[in-house]
Amino acid sequence: MLKGKKSLKVALATLSAAALAGGLLTGCAPANSGGTITYLTQSEAWTHADPQRNYTGMHIAWFGSYLQRTLTAYDRKPGAEGSAVVPDLATDTGKASNGNKTWEFTLRDGSTFEDGTPVTCEDIKYGVSRTFATDIITDGPTYAIGMLDIPTDPATGTSTYKGPYSTDAANDTASFDKAITCSADHKTITFNLKRAVGDFNYTVTYLSFSPVPKAKDTGDQYDLAPVSTGPYKIKSYKANDSMVLVRNDKWNKSSDPLRADRAFPDKVVVKFGQAAEVIDQILLSDKDKTAVSLDSLLPTNLSAVFDDKGDVLPKYKGRAINVYDPYVRYAAVNVKKVNCLPVRQAIYYGKNFQSLITLAGGQAFNGDPADGVIKPLMGLDYAKTGLATNDKDWKPEGNVEKAKALMVQASTECPELYARATDPKRGLVYDIADTETNKKASAIWIESMAAIGITMKFNFIEAGKYYSVVLDATKQGDLSAGGWAPDWANASTVIPELFTAEGGFPMSQNWDDAAYADFKKRSDANLTEPDRVKQGKEWAALNKYAMEQMWVIPGTFSKTQEIWGSKIGGAFFWEPQGALSFGDLYIQK
Amino acid sequence: MFSKEAEQKITGHSPRELAWRRFKSNKVAIPSLVVALLVILAVILAPLMYSLAGVDPAARDEGALDSRGEVPGDWNGISAKHPLGVVPGIGYDLLARMLFGARVSFLIALASTAITVFLGLLMGIVGGYFRGRVDGVIGRFTDFLLAFPTFFMIIALSAPTIERMEKSGLIQGNEARILYLIVIFAIFGWPYLSRIIRSQVISIRERDFVLSARALGASNFRILVKEVLPNVWTPVIIYVSLSLPGYLSAEAVFSYLGIGVQPPMPTLGTIIADSTKYMMNNSVYFFIPSLALILLVLTFNLLGDALRDALDPKSEN
Amino acid sequence: MNGLLAYISRRLGLTLLILLAVSFTVYLIFALLPYDPASLTCGKSCNDPGIIEANRHRLGYDKPFFEQYWIFLVGLFAGRDFGEGAAAFHCAAPSFGYSFQQHACVTDLIFDALPVTLSLAIGSLILWLIVGVGLGIVAARFRGKIWDTLSTAFVLVGTSLPTFLTGLMLIVFLVIKLDWSPFPAGGYTAPDEDLGGWFLSMVLPWITLAFAYAAIYTRFVRSQIIEISTEDYIRTARAKGLSDGVILGKHTMRAALAPIVTMAGLDFAGLLGGAILTEAVFNLPGMGRLSLGAVVDIDLPVIVGTTIFAAAIVVIMNAILDIVYAFIDPRVRV
Repeated sequence: MLKGKKSLKVALATLSAAALAGGLLTGCAPANSGGTITYLTQSEAWTHADPQRNYTGMHIAWFGSYLQRTLTAYDRKPGAEGSAVVPDLATDTGKASNGNKTWEFTLRDGSTFEDGTPVTCEDIKYGVSRTFATDIITDGPTYAIGMLDIPTDPATGTSTYKGPYSTDAANDTASFDKAITCSADHKTITFNLKRAVGDFNYTVTYLSFSPVPKAKDTGDQYDLAPVSTGPYKIKSYKANDSMVLVRNDKWNKSSDPLRADRAFPDKVVVKFGQAAEVIDQILLSDKDKTAVSLDSLLPTNLSAVFDDKGDVLPKYKGRAINVYDPYVRYAAVNVKKVNCLPVRQAIYYGKNFQSLITLAGGQAFNGDPADGVIKPLMGLDYAKTGLATNDKDWKPEGNVEKAKALMVQASTECPELYARATDPKRGLVYDIADTETNKKASAIWIESMAAIGITMKFNFIEAGKYYSVVLDATKQGDLSAGGWAPDWANASTVIPELFTAEGGFPMSQNWDDAAYADFKKRSDANLTEPDRVKQGKEWAALNKYAMEQMWVIPGTFSKTQEIWGSKIGGAFFWEPQGALSFGDLYIQK
Repeated sequence: MFSKEAEQKITGHSPRELAWRRFKSNKVAIPSLVVALLVILAVILAPLMYSLAGVDPAARDEGALDSRGEVPGDWNGISAKHPLGVVPGIGYDLLARMLFGARVSFLIALASTAITVFLGLLMGIVGGYFRGRVDGVIGRFTDFLLAFPTFFMIIALSAPTIERMEKSGLIQGNEARILYLIVIFAIFGWPYLSRIIRSQVISIRERDFVLSARALGASNFRILVKEVLPNVWTPVIIYVSLSLPGYLSAEAVFSYLGIGVQPPMPTLGTIIADSTKYMMNNSVYFFIPSLALILLVLTFNLLGDALRDALDPKSEN
Repeated sequence: MNGLLAYISRRLGLTLLILLAVSFTVYLIFALLPYDPASLTCGKSCNDPGIIEANRHRLGYDKPFFEQYWIFLVGLFAGRDFGEGAAAFHCAAPSFGYSFQQHACVTDLIFDALPVTLSLAIGSLILWLIVGVGLGIVAARFRGKIWDTLSTAFVLVGTSLPTFLTGLMLIVFLVIKLDWSPFPAGGYTAPDEDLGGWFLSMVLPWITLAFAYAAIYTRFVRSQIIEISTEDYIRTARAKGLSDGVILGKHTMRAALAPIVTMAGLDFAGLLGGAILTEAVFNLPGMGRLSLGAVVDIDLPVIVGTTIFAAAIVVIMNAILDIVYAFIDPRVRV
């Protein structure tokens, strides 16, 4: 499942993404402009529309294409070129000084909000300040809190600055004003960081670093009506119904070379709450030729679109793709609860990977067995960990003997956990999103765990609510389905995020584990390692380390399938965001 | 004045016999009764049925699936080995799953009906017979219960109630879920029956045989058990035959919404919820469970109609 | 007339009491749930207990239960303010509270959803009354004949098919497979925006919902007519040589009207609380979707608000029907 998301350095083996996009990007806008693009989704609404609260790659791609501009952005190109950072609101991709601890960006002239007021340094500073109001601005990435040079309150471990809404006299606004400074002409913004961050210009591609006009900020309710800086603006937005975007007439094309010639449709509509099977059928039958699905195809409909090998059938050529997404899927182990290595290993060996992958549509659609949390496509940061296909004891259908032997070992090493795991009344609880496919998957898990003596129980959580439940330590079960993609092409956005207490996605809760202190020390040190090759080797080593401790049960290096109507042009898979290139879509005449 | 017995002797037919005659004369009554009994028998004897058909609800035949988890061919793999084919993606035998599922669905429907009838009878009789303040309190309480949006309350209360039940340590997992459905169906179901029974009891209360029993000094309890209860069976039987299919489809609806029993245990509802995802790609798998539910509900409705016509001829003639 | 006034005031008093009891019970039930409403407001950032406490205070969950309920009641009549400083906001009366998850006042959410559900309920009510009453009359008149059998078959299919299956099949087979149908595959168009579009978007939901209800009404109307036609005055009318049509139109239907209106009134009131399945299948942003979504998100203010709202409609409709009968039939007043 999704949460964070971002770039991969090496080209992904996509089917025809490059071919699909070929030639269309450079074409003049007038020929292809006009019309309405309709997006269909099962979700009842956007998880968030507030730029400071958006974190999912697909959402960042969508809002970033149409509504929100940031200092820098990923280039909207197919293949590896898409992962390059280009200037957006800024005139360049940033100047680092002070050993990568100070970053300076200069704003372009002519960028405005949808009411015509120019975007200033102060607006970006105000936008970033909202990230600190963690009581109201929830769910967004917290890189600003982790990186900006603002003291941490030793008592609570939280920042001394509590954001712009705090009425507390002790709120440390002074430190924030020092951490981000604006030049007198309001054109240059300077970030002062507490540690060296060599790729801070990737960090600011996040919408959480986008401008918000203080006068228009409505706190929590800004999530319903964020102010646009992009080529479109929100005409209406209603949960359970739709969002309608129309052209932003105050948008200054010349100030936005990234989007200048690609603002094709006159109108963009998102229809929320459509049943998954109905969305698939609308697209399969091409009933709405200008529709695009925001959701992946249901596994049950894959065979209508793709052949056995995963290639698009002729009927759907040019309007469907089956590609590797940036995600690694796994079952995060709550190490606080499952505090016994042999039990975690037994689960890994006992798992029936074969049946689970068949259920999800087969390896051609669901992806390859993963050996860790870093995808091989990360290049520098990846090395084999010796798990899965490189592990002679690992079998796709599960190695019952090996797993049983580990359970015997567990019965003496950790009798308490062993007793709970094998007790039919208690057992281990697995958190998973509530979908029909996952319901069947649970039956396969229960069956394969029963074969090695473990009682497994499932806690089905509504898909849209899944992460807010499992990321709450009090509500998380023993294992939780998870998925993570690097936020940009450095495993600094993977290893510390997943396996340290300060991380943004710490579902393993592994900080009481005996191995943690050493791991944490190496991870912290590696964050500021200036030699990128050396840093990559260490990330690979830490990946292996985490896998040896089985802090997650590895799943797949996953794939995704997208489909759109036959009149939609310009589609390609935008790799860094793991989503379609929404901003490049147009209606074919 | 004839006694009741004498009256029956003279006409030569008891009301029961008359009802049975009317029942038999209804063209669909006997077939639907036979089908209903067969279904109930098959469900009770499900384990025997598995071995007769050579199927097993827990076994997964992955050989029947291709590498994408789909069933090859157009007929969902229907064969001697799998009389109704297999469940795509996972390879369960569909017939075995449906028998097992129907068993759970029937358990929920029957138990809910039983509790509903018990509560409805109790409250209806007490209210109708004693009238006065007791009746007033029961009446207001039914008004109060009927004011709640039932359907929504069942959904809203499901997760927290089941969580509470599990935390109590008395009941776990699917047992707790089944119990929840049974109890909540009954809680929101009894007021309807209670109202019917109450009006029936009010009219019986004023009839000659009750008045004479009271004149003879019979206790309230005796009158209730000996005179009133036997005379309210007609609405009860009708109610049961109509509420059973009602609860069967309710279970399907709540399973479709994701409330109710969890895998690996199936119900008719969870099988249907899964099959809707295959509407286009595997129409055989889509239609079989839904058709089964429709036929079941249809059978019990027909039976209910026939019973009503037979037992309560006024509604017919 | 005094008797009538006394009855009405007694009935209204009782209605208020039931409303109070229902609202209190709903409030109590959801306050007793094992959820902490404050920690449901912040998701992942809830790892910081300070944030939970701040939100608890902002939403008034730090007050004792009875005070919370009292504030809720007062808010219904006087509106309510939440929070302080730059992030403060006001929900005007009648305020059902504030949904932190949807960033809106619950009352606004309800009034956004209500027109959709009203569209659905009114249209399908008309449809099912026409079909249900029509078929019921036909079945009763031609009792035992082919028309009776056909209407019985209709009734049984109608009651046997779960609404979600009817709806899904209509969408997939009628709208998508047969591409010529003018109906959209779900979604709602507001009538003030595009009247024709509204009508087209509502036809299939009306049919789906009306199908289930029409079945019940056919059965009900048929048995009502049969029962009434055994009454003495109908026999007398027949003996006087009045034609069947006149008897049906002038006497039988008049007598059958009251119970049919009662049933329709209550069913209609029940529907205003939301037709969850039909709304879900056809993607209509009505009361049912609002409340179902709230359950899924454990959005307590919305759950409490929609439940009390739905219950209030049922209770008030009950009272209206009773009072109307008291006008028509003096015996009711006792």
